[in-house]
Amino acid sequence: MSLVPRIIPCLDVANGRVVKGTNFKQLLDMGDPIELALKYQHQGADEIVFLDIKASVDKQASALAMVKKVAENLNIPFTVGGGIKVLEDVDKFFNAGADKVTLNTAAVENPELINQIANKYGSQSLIIAIDVNHESDDSLAIYTHGGSKKVPKPYQQWISEVVERGAGELLITAMHKDGTGSGFDLDLLQQADFPLPIIASGGANAPVDFLAAIEAGADAVLAAGIFHRDEYTVKQVKDYLINNNIKMRN
Amino acid sequence: MKVGIINLNSGNLLSMIAAIKKTGATTLVLDDPNDNVDVLVMPGQGRFGFICDQLDKNNWRNFILDWVNQGKKFIGICVGMQVLFDSSEENTSAKGLGLFSGTIEKLKHKKTPMVGWAQLDSKATFYQNQFVYFVNSYGVAHSEYCTASVNYGEPFCAIVEKDNVIGFQFHPEKSGDYGLEVLKKCL
Repeated sequence: MSLVPRIIPCLDVANGRVVKGTNFKQLLDMGDPIELALKYQHQGADEIVFLDIKASVDKQASALAMVKKVAENLNIPFTVGGGIKVLEDVDKFFNAGADKVTLNTAAVENPELINQIANKYGSQSLIIAIDVNHESDDSLAIYTHGGSKKVPKPYQQWISEVVERGAGELLITAMHKDGTGSGFDLDLLQQADFPLPIIASGGANAPVDFLAAIEAGADAVLAAGIFHRDEYTVKQVKDYLINNNIKMRN
Repeated sequence: MKVGIINLNSGNLLSMIAAIKKTGATTLVLDDPNDNVDVLVMPGQGRFGFICDQLDKNNWRNFILDWVNQGKKFIGICVGMQVLFDSSEENTSAKGLGLFSGTIEKLKHKKTPMVGWAQLDSKATFYQNQFVYFVNSYGVAHSEYCTASVNYGEPFCAIVEKDNVIGFQFHPEKSGDYGLEVLKKCL
């Protein structure tokens, strides 16, 4: 009886509200982050990720107030990301009650931050998010700044580096699948034989996609739209997985 | 019921305070030893050696041993459970409280830390097959006082119980509604 795969709803937050769409000009209000997180917890979510997509714009005060409120209300683990640049930002999030933080752009721009967080809080507190794109020449490229900036670092090399520096988990988003609803990139997951948990993200459209990702080796699956649009509840996804002989927390 | 939460400066206590309050108890965060509570809860995150140092730095060590000797209820969580034992491979020179005999060992699994949900294996119906949330790289393989175990590479103790002392290797405050039931039952 070992660890069971996790289902992790992801909430994009801006100005203290859950929003849909990362286009800053067209943010659709999806509701209150605490209410939505509690709803997903009730449905059986194993963990929640909050990404403050406007953190760099509206500073951290609203994000910190939200994190504190989440810690007081939720009784499952939660991760926060967005707007983290230096160790002090991380201190603030942990002091406000977050269980883990997730870094993407900041990790690429300042890899030493990975070591600093792992040394101070332990690897278990740090998820490194990697946005990877299958390029037209068949290579795998990593991107930062919400997928807008290509990084001149090979995908495999970057993964080895973050593992070496002390990442606790990898959140791998296949950009070429994200929002397409065509399922996760299973080849990418099957190749991901790393000594730390892999969270698959990008492309979930139906419970069968979660099953395929877990069978391909994902330790956890992160999804947003499928839950926010009320297409499926977390419970429906988990029931489907359990019916397909995947052991899940129920 | 007034629950004292020992602050060993090893991480945020908000979730623990919130979880204990949800069971109906009141909480008091203790920076120093204080008799004015009914139960002591010792959460711990980080290294074994650090927690042992904190016990000495703030005069907790003898206070806790006396507290337990007087038959009062004591709950250790995560590294707060590990320091109830004698020692740990993590920091071999550090001295635990020795309330349980044994040494904490590195988990025997290629992916550590263990982070996530696992199912308890126990003879007690209240624990058996329940899912709880773990975050740890070390654990105690055997104890005669183990009342629930979990397998990660090899089995280790998820819960130890001896008279008025109980230790949880997992995080009841992060283990959903069942975690709250566990806290409620042991407080």
